[in-house]
Amino acid sequence: MRGLVGFLLFRVLSASVTLLGLTLVVFTAMHLIPGDFTEVLVPRGTPEFRKALAERLGLDGPLYWQYLTWLKNLVSGDFGASLITSQPVWKEFAGRLPVTMELAVLSVATSIAIGAPLGLISGLAGTGRFVSAISRVFCGFTVSLPDFFLGTIFLYVFSKYALGLTVGDFVPLSVNPEAHFRGMALPVLSLSLLGIGTVAAVTRETVFTLSDQDYVFAATVRGRSMSQIVRRHFVRNASVPLLTVISIYLGYLLGGSILIEQLFSLPGIGRYIFQAVQARDYPVVQAGVVMIAAAFVLTNMLTDIAYGVIDPRMRAGHEH
Amino acid sequence: MSIEATMKFFVRLRRAMLSDTVSAVAAVVLVLILLISIFGPFLPIGKPDQIGFGPRLGGWSWSAPMGTDQLGRSVLARVLQGIRVTFVLSTVSVAIAGLAGALVGISATYFHRLADEVASRTADIMFAFPPILLGFLVVAIFRPGVTSAMAVIALITFPTMLRVVRASTLSVMRRDFMLVAEISGVSFVDRIFRHLLPNVANVIVVQTIYSISLGMLIESSLSFLGLGVQPPAASLGSLLRDGATYLEIAPWLSVGPGIILALSIMSINLVGDATRSFVDPTYRF
Repeated sequence: MRGLVGFLLFRVLSASVTLLGLTLVVFTAMHLIPGDFTEVLVPRGTPEFRKALAERLGLDGPLYWQYLTWLKNLVSGDFGASLITSQPVWKEFAGRLPVTMELAVLSVATSIAIGAPLGLISGLAGTGRFVSAISRVFCGFTVSLPDFFLGTIFLYVFSKYALGLTVGDFVPLSVNPEAHFRGMALPVLSLSLLGIGTVAAVTRETVFTLSDQDYVFAATVRGRSMSQIVRRHFVRNASVPLLTVISIYLGYLLGGSILIEQLFSLPGIGRYIFQAVQARDYPVVQAGVVMIAAAFVLTNMLTDIAYGVIDPRMRAGHEH
Repeated sequence: MSIEATMKFFVRLRRAMLSDTVSAVAAVVLVLILLISIFGPFLPIGKPDQIGFGPRLGGWSWSAPMGTDQLGRSVLARVLQGIRVTFVLSTVSVAIAGLAGALVGISATYFHRLADEVASRTADIMFAFPPILLGFLVVAIFRPGVTSAMAVIALITFPTMLRVVRASTLSVMRRDFMLVAEISGVSFVDRIFRHLLPNVANVIVVQTIYSISLGMLIESSLSFLGLGVQPPAASLGSLLRDGATYLEIAPWLSVGPGIILALSIMSINLVGDATRSFVDPTYRF
């Protein structure tokens, strides 16, 4: 396989295999739950209702047939219905998706906006013992402080003192944009601490790698100013490593937002799935896990494709 | 790797670590936390399950330096028990899953292309689940508890270790000395144990350290959601969960466990960084 088309095909195919695998894992996990699967789905249903449900969902057939039916329904957008509200799962998700997406987008933006300048400054400050000690301790701190503990601290401080940012009451964007962002700021900050640290660390490392490059040295010799070199060489070259950490960070956000949404009572997907776990609302858990894991696989696929587009050398690397 | 070589490795590692201020402080903090938590039961700070050790929701005092909780139990005693639980759970799961991941990683990569492909694909699929979601699936099958938390840590550690070891094995296999060993008739067992393994071992050690801190984070997250360690047992995460209930009137219930958790994870990570820079000279802080 050569060229961009082959590369794209390869990535899409490999992502599809992973997607198929993950549906198989979720399907197996749900069927490993003790008890008959119709009992798991409707614990309080009458035998007649269960039988009708089993027929409708294809649960009366052999296991592989059940899997295929479920897969077919997934693909056609039928995620099942919540046991508690009887609403289609898809409908429940659609209303909550924007909150989680906003949380993720704002967190990524904050991490870049704060992390990249920090990393650039510390990178340009050099590899002196003092600078590197500070940056190591800072990055170590951001990676190690659990987001839910930071969120807890925020909750305490901001509910005790009126500091402008609010906690605990979510206001939709359409109702009052200002109150909305006041409420979103703390969850976003809790989630972005890790991002800030990783983005800063990667930016710092890129600055080092580039400082060793001959063309950067040549630019210095030609009398280019520091800001010109940063703009021309550093910013461009940092994009690939930044893309890597951001895709990893997005994966972390998909899981991390569950804790933060729960802590700050945000009506997002993560909190919904968690409530479903507590209520044993298995169709919702099943659909939610598949959706988030699929989102993660698709993010990775897009990242890989972006690599290939930015840097043609990367295309070859994926064809083991 | 003989025992002697392993000893030498650790002596040199210790010297390198102590010569660097940040790493030295991190190592000392880590050792202190572990020592205090091991000797916690012998310290005069009350038992973790001793109800009425002090006043209910009492603040700081000499006998209970981190305050007391809603049942009058000493928070410090509970935190020390919590570190033990969190650390042991994570270490045991990482040890089992990491070893398995390393074994599968090395053998699949070395022996068979198809096995390698299957192992890598499996790792990709397991990688697609964020730890908490994996926790949801595991809890649905096994019910919340210690076993579920350990299973989740293991399921996260395994593919990570597998990937790292696979990459390292591939790069070592391409090195000239492996070819030379094969040509000069070094036996198959010796090639694996004397040539391949010592060069992959570094990576395994570093990844194990990082995995332990990640495992502690996963365990606390799950316990914070109430899916991990169940009462009356306590881990740092479940202490934070209990603390959240009384956050406004008794913030010390959260502060103690949170700071100790963050400190342990951070010191393990920094020790991991130091080990990494020791075994991999191209890695800069």
